This record gives sequence, structure tokens and C-alpha cells, in this order.
Amino acid sequence: MTLTPHLASDSAACCWIPLFALRSELARRPELVSLPVALLAPDTARTPRVWQVAPLARRAGVKPGMTVSQAIGLCPGLKLCEPDPVHYDEQFARLVAALVTVSPVVEPVEVGRVFVGTDGLEGLYGAPENIVEAIQMRSAECGVRSFSEGSLAQRTSHVHSALRIPHSALRVGWGRGKFVAWVAATRAKPGEAVIVPVGGEAKFLASQPLAVLPLDPDTHRRLLQLGVKTLGALVALPEEAVVSQYGHAGRRLWRLAAGLVSEPVVGRVVPEPIVAALTFFSSVGERDLLAHALDKLVDRALGDPRRSGWRVQVVRVHAELEHGASWLVEATLKDPSATRERIAAPLKTQLERSPPAGAVERLVVEFTAFTPGTAELQLFARDAGAAARAGRRRALQSAAREIALRIRRPMLYHIIEVQPWSRLPERRYALIDFEP
Amino acid sequence: MRNGTDRLRAVNVPQPAVVELDAGGSPAKIEMNSDVREPVTIEAVREIWRIDDEWWREPITRTYYEVLLHGGARLVLFRDLVAQEWFVQKP
Repeated sequence: MTLTPHLASDSAACCWIPLFALRSELARRPELVSLPVALLAPDTARTPRVWQVAPLARRAGVKPGMTVSQAIGLCPGLKLCEPDPVHYDEQFARLVAALVTVSPVVEPVEVGRVFVGTDGLEGLYGAPENIVEAIQMRSAECGVRSFSEGSLAQRTSHVHSALRIPHSALRVGWGRGKFVAWVAATRAKPGEAVIVPVGGEAKFLASQPLAVLPLDPDTHRRLLQLGVKTLGALVALPEEAVVSQYGHAGRRLWRLAAGLVSEPVVGRVVPEPIVAALTFFSSVGERDLLAHALDKLVDRALGDPRRSGWRVQVVRVHAELEHGASWLVEATLKDPSATRERIAAPLKTQLERSPPAGAVERLVVEFTAFTPGTAELQLFARDAGAAARAGRRRALQSAAREIALRIRRPMLYHIIEVQPWSRLPERRYALIDFEP
Repeated sequence: MRNGTDRLRAVNVPQPAVVELDAGGSPAKIEMNSDVREPVTIEAVREIWRIDDEWWREPITRTYYEVLLHGGARLVLFRDLVAQEWFVQKP
């Protein structure tokens, strides 16, 4: 990856896989594909709400943001899944890591949506069509399972490639600036791309619906009431008239709609290696103690603020041994990770297979290569505490499966609000089976 | 309460109880359908309130009593004024 102080690009490719989290879940649990499925939101709010909805459930009326009781009421057969944001982020990190091999300027926005800066790639790949093709090829090779867009609802075969996320569901938009690229991606069919030639932004945007603009619901409603349904209709209004109605935000909207705003893709400079070291008071030879020390050092390195927003791809451990000897192991993670268990696991395996030849005086853990993470990653797994939450969630799911297997009937429940306002206590809450 | 799909289970369902009244009509002793079958003396009634609800379909009318049992435990029970039966329920 190129290290430059200013990683920015005016020309942008937007790579978008809608419902990325849901697709990731279905990719690892194919038995759910033919069912009406919805993912619960990954926050810890008291009232669980629906987050992403599969087409079958959507047809029954289930929408994101509904409470569980509302969703079950509309679709009694709804299969609710506990979210696993760390898993989704790991899957997304693989896509991002693949895109980094195309361009050093990569800007993940959210899980499932990432911008790739393409300035200067003409010399390598040629025309934008070829650059987009390279992006599609790399994303297809990134190790995500494949199933088609339509098969989100109906899956007839279980063909698993090395891919975990369907590259056929990847939509790519290319244009000048992030907004044009994003709108182009929303217009692309699954597995295909829409390229907006330089200079053709205004013409392309003019026919797009108003909903592609970053509008608040009130402004959207007001514009629709004025008969403004497309960006072209908005641009047809005098810019100053829009500004007088909607202020500074109105000017930005008008200029976006006119294709006059070109926000560059901004990559981030990869952090320098992060090092955490521990000097033992007395030399340590016990492997258990060394494994424990490894965990602590990985935790400490993960907690480094520079690591925030990045996943670790390469981790190295070296030990200073008695009598001046040394020991070194390095692991490249196939799935870049921000969780201690995943980073430490290959190191511990190496520790078991080829332990240090003597007692260790000093142990050093070094993260030497990274791949970009996302805002979700920063929210969810940027520190050891968040990683621990994810670990607890997985442990809970594992325990729940074990209980279900042994008892053969549901014994674990979620408490959900039904009519929390009711004066009758028994009407306020209900239990629903906990099905991890 | 379980819906047609057998997915939802009610929480805090009223539990039947046998209540003896004193001369003034207030609950004096309670026998719950639990492991303890001995009637427990009600030391004091701390609060009384009434709920009338769902008058548009099957009316629900209850008088709730928050009581202090012998031994210091606090309990909420209600009398279903439609069926004339007593129940224990968490508030």
C-alpha cells in the first residue's frame, strides 16, 4: 500500500452491496435463505428493532425500524436473527482489502459501501470501464461466498465459491466525485456498473429521483409538494430561490443536483507499526504464562488509538531469550481482524508448535500491516471492551444452541415490549424464543 | 397469552389465589397456588386502586391491593370484579 500524506482522488468508484449484513448472515446460514428473515439492530437498546429485512419478509410488510412485536404481527413466520456485527465487518474488511490492491485510496463509508479513488489508474488499467472491471474482478476474488441478488429470497443451489458475499450483488458506480459515483451505483443492476463520463454529470443527475440527495424527510416532503421530483427539476429552480427557502443546506443540495460538487475520495495513511512490549521480572518458560502475556499484549496493541478504524493483517511476535537468543513468529491473517482471539490464535499455535528455545525475558507484539475498517468497526470493535462484548455474544449464542440441543425445546427468551403503555401488567411485555 | 404462531409468551400472567376477607371486606388472609399452601395473614393494606379497561370488548374491571404480609413481604393482588376471583400479580 502506498504511503502518501495526501491520499485523495477526484474520480471515484462506489462499490455497494445492499443489505450486506443480511447477505453475510444468509451466506453462513443457507438454511435461512428460503425463509422470511430479518436481522435485529446491533445496538443494545432495550426494545429490539428490526434492522435489515429479506424480500420475503418485506413482502409481508416488515420494514426496518419496526419493533419485534410489530414485525411478528405482520409476518408470523418471521425468522429473527441476532446480529453479529463483528462477522459482517470482517467480511466487509475482506472486500476492502481486495479493493486496496486496486487503488491505495479507499474510503469505507459503512458496511457494504466503499469508495475507491481511481485517479491515476488509467496508466495501469486504461479507461474507466477497465478500472471498474478490475474492481469487479478483485472483489470477486476477495473470498466472499457467492449467490445471486434474486437468491436472497429464493435460493435453489448451494454453490459456494471461496467468496462469502456475492460479488454478483456488487453494484459499482463510477464518476467524478463521490456523490455522482454513489448515485451511479444505486442505478446499477446487481453485478453491473454504471459509468458517468466526465462532463456528463449534469445530464446523468437530471433524471435521477430526489431521493438520491441527502435530504431530511421534511425537506423531501416540501420539495415533493412543490412538484420537484427529480434533480433536474430542482436545478431548474434558480439557485438563490432554493437558498432562500432552505438556507446553506439548500445551496449544497442545488449544487449537488447540478453536478457542481465533486467531493474527492479520501484515503487514510496506514498507521506505522504498533508495538506493545512486556519485560518479565524473571525469565518465563511456561507456555501458559507466555500465552497469557500474548493476550495482554495484543489487547494493549489493539487499544492503541492509532489502530482505531483499522484491522490488523500482519502480526509479529518476537521474544528476547536468556543468553542473548531470540524467537520470532509472524502471522498473516487471512481475515484481517480487530479482535484479540483471532489475532492471538495463530500466534498461540506457533507457540505450541515451535516454542522458544529458552526462557523469555522480554516479549514484543507488533502489528505491522493493516486494512481499513469502517465506522461500524470503530463503533463496535475498536477496543478490547467491544471485542469482549462480541465474544460474549458468540458465547451466548453457542450456549443457547447447546441448551436447545440438550433440552429439545426453547428455554431461552427475549423480553419484548408489546403494549408498554397498557394499564394491565400482563399486556406490557411478552417473551419470544431466543434463537441465535 | 400466546399468539397463533406460538411465538409469543405472556409475562406476568395473574396467578389465581384464595383470599379471605375481614368483616370490612378487605383482604385478611391469602392462600396462593404455589408451594406454600398455608394461608398467610395480611398485616396491612397499603394501597388500593382500580382499573377499568377494554370496555369496548370484554370489560376488565379489577381492584388492586398492595398488601404487607405477615413477615414483612410486600404483595400485589387484585380482585377480578367481573369473575369475582382473586389473583396475585406483580405491579
